[in-house]
Amino acid sequence: MTVIDPAAPVAPTGMSARMPVLGGANVPAVRFTGDAGAYWRLLIRGAMRLAITLGIYRFWLATDIRRYLWSHTEVRGDSLEYTGTATELLIGFLIAIAVIIPINLAFFVAALSLGSFGEAVSVLAFPLLAFLGQYAVYRARRYRLTRTVLRGVRFYQDGSAWHYAVCAVFWWMMIALTVGLAYPFAKSRLERFKMRHTHYGTLPGRFEGSGVRLLLRGLPMWILTVGPLLFAAVFAIVTVDWTLMVEAVMREGGDFASRIESVAPGFYAAIVVAIVAAIVSVAMAVVLFPVFQAMVMRWWISGLRFGELSVRSHLRTGQIYGAYARFLLYGLLFLIGALVLAAAGAAALYLFAGSLSQSELTEIVWAGAGILFYVIVMLGFSTIYQATVKLSLWRYGAESCELQGLAALDQVKAAGAPSSAVGEGLADALNVGGF
Amino acid sequence: MASGAGIFFDGMTSTRHDVAVEAAPDALRVRSADGTLLAEWPYAELRAGSAPGGVLRLIRNGNPVLARLEVRDPELIAAIDHLADTLDQSGRTERRNRKKVVAWSFAATVSLVLVAIFGVPALVERLAPLIPMSVEHRLGLAVEAQVRAMLDTGDRGGQPFECGLADAEKPGRAALDKIISLLEGTAGLPIPLKVVAVRRTEANAIALPGGHIYVFQGLIAKAETADELAGVIAHEIGHVAHRDGTRSVLQAAGLSFLFGMLLGDFTGGGLVVIAAKTVVESAYAREVEAGADLYGVHLVSKAGGDGRALGSMLERIAGTIEPGIKILLDHPQTQQRIAAINAAAGPPQGKALLEPAEWAALKRICG
Repeated sequence: MTVIDPAAPVAPTGMSARMPVLGGANVPAVRFTGDAGAYWRLLIRGAMRLAITLGIYRFWLATDIRRYLWSHTEVRGDSLEYTGTATELLIGFLIAIAVIIPINLAFFVAALSLGSFGEAVSVLAFPLLAFLGQYAVYRARRYRLTRTVLRGVRFYQDGSAWHYAVCAVFWWMMIALTVGLAYPFAKSRLERFKMRHTHYGTLPGRFEGSGVRLLLRGLPMWILTVGPLLFAAVFAIVTVDWTLMVEAVMREGGDFASRIESVAPGFYAAIVVAIVAAIVSVAMAVVLFPVFQAMVMRWWISGLRFGELSVRSHLRTGQIYGAYARFLLYGLLFLIGALVLAAAGAAALYLFAGSLSQSELTEIVWAGAGILFYVIVMLGFSTIYQATVKLSLWRYGAESCELQGLAALDQVKAAGAPSSAVGEGLADALNVGGF
Repeated sequence: MASGAGIFFDGMTSTRHDVAVEAAPDALRVRSADGTLLAEWPYAELRAGSAPGGVLRLIRNGNPVLARLEVRDPELIAAIDHLADTLDQSGRTERRNRKKVVAWSFAATVSLVLVAIFGVPALVERLAPLIPMSVEHRLGLAVEAQVRAMLDTGDRGGQPFECGLADAEKPGRAALDKIISLLEGTAGLPIPLKVVAVRRTEANAIALPGGHIYVFQGLIAKAETADELAGVIAHEIGHVAHRDGTRSVLQAAGLSFLFGMLLGDFTGGGLVVIAAKTVVESAYAREVEAGADLYGVHLVSKAGGDGRALGSMLERIAGTIEPGIKILLDHPQTQQRIAAINAAAGPPQGKALLEPAEWAALKRICG
């Protein structure tokens, strides 16, 4: 036994390297220690297992992914720990299915009964599912937080998920009504709600990001993407005489196009303007999306607070562009490889199937091969996306953090209890996702 | 006895304790720098939490608080691993469990697919006759409203969707009714037929649950004899008699249930469900169509017409298949179908179902 001298404090190996200067801007207070190769292996093995289990393996893969990301993220030298298990996710999913099956069945039966009742139900179905989806998002966040442990103390979340769902559905409607202008306010309100109910032990969280500031930063991008569409709408309203137009449409007989041409010569110009505007708008949205994502993420991280602890993000837009560039490059290479293999497979299948006499069987074989190809391509892209974009967002998001007031983390008392994975299950069954 | 340094979190506060760890033979002991015993954990209760490479994060099972002991010294890790049987540092137990999960999930998948291919049709076969006619009638009304909205695309120059309403078209409608009543009387169906001719350019006809049959204008234009048109209508009556519409609703519900529930949220899962359903359903469709063909041939022959006319009609339509709609043309491939039709049809009885004048009127049913 090694004798330990109480007077000389033990200095475990690697200890000095793990102790960054408090609050120093040069030493990252948050580090990501993961290695992309190991992450790729985890994802590829998971994708193969997803394929042969028709997706049942997803609970295990999601757990593996979280364990990997959490445990390779260090806050001041101490790594996070994800304590959730795949079995919990599976049970959560089963509970969610038990809830959703009767709802789906009720919609099915109601849609069959005619009249105003059936119509009312089909109109109500979408908002109800959207509402349930937001409820699930909040509950899923609660599950993930209570399974996140740092330094022997867990995070947790309180607050009513129904309350959150009402707020979220309201704000998403506002976003739709204002063509996206309400997004910064929605984001800051909802984030405030979530963070107000988030705790690290006895240390309460809050959110201080300002909606106005996000709006001002994002406004140029909004003008570039939504602007062309608004211009096209205004152009159409100004140049086309709509009263004549409506009359022409209502009037019967003769060729529809020539009828319109005679009363509204500006109509086709307006259509051309609308098409050009749509193309410009989509192109802008694609090009600017990484900028937008980086901006929102920087704003969001910089608004996070836990007691005296505050965060500032120095995330660079170029890093997000780099992530998407890698996604496109690997995706292209993968697609080329998949197509070459598919062509070879199709040739082999053609030779083999040519000898089959039954045409029905041949068709089923081809359809099966088509489905297999589709599954491989979709899983491949999803894997590449996870390993490039998702991992980069996590890594750069974490590494760009500058923490102030880290001492707040030192004396936190444990609080909170683990919550069930029902929210995760609902989110899974309703396809509202998350990490 | 191995010992070394570690970091201990007691689970009560987030304070980090630099500790000395003793891997004694009976238990793992954690002492603070001044020698105070902070924790004594029996090896049988040890478990490793998820941690980055090179770190052993120890947890005591059943501990009400989240106490954690982190060890980085490889020799000490090896010593603890050696003493604690429940620790799974090599990951062998975990791998074995995973293999079990994958193997049984795969088995479940195979059984699911087999149930989809053999179980659901067999179940539907037994369930469909048990569905009361009143339910099928209701189902038909709901489906009809949707199908009509889907087919009625507007812009026909002011003419209604349905043919045979205008005065000039009434004789055509009467001729169509004559064919229908002849076939319906011969068939003896449990529910009344509701046949309409509609303005659609495709050469097609469709049957919905509840006895609704839509005959498209394009089909009437393509037909050269009344028997050909009657053959197609008789084929659709076959679907009504076999209650194929109700069956397909039951089948679709059963398959969505089977595939949709389990596949859930992995990328593109939804599309795979649709693709898988399409394959399985089109496999059913072959048998269903072949059944309706046979029914149609026998019905037309029994009504005194030429059963082979359905085959010649099919041959003509197959030359000009329009993409997208293939309800009538849904497999088995036309040549096989025509051969089966000709084999089933008796010799032509040489008696046309309609007078030439009536047939001419029917050709003008849509103006």
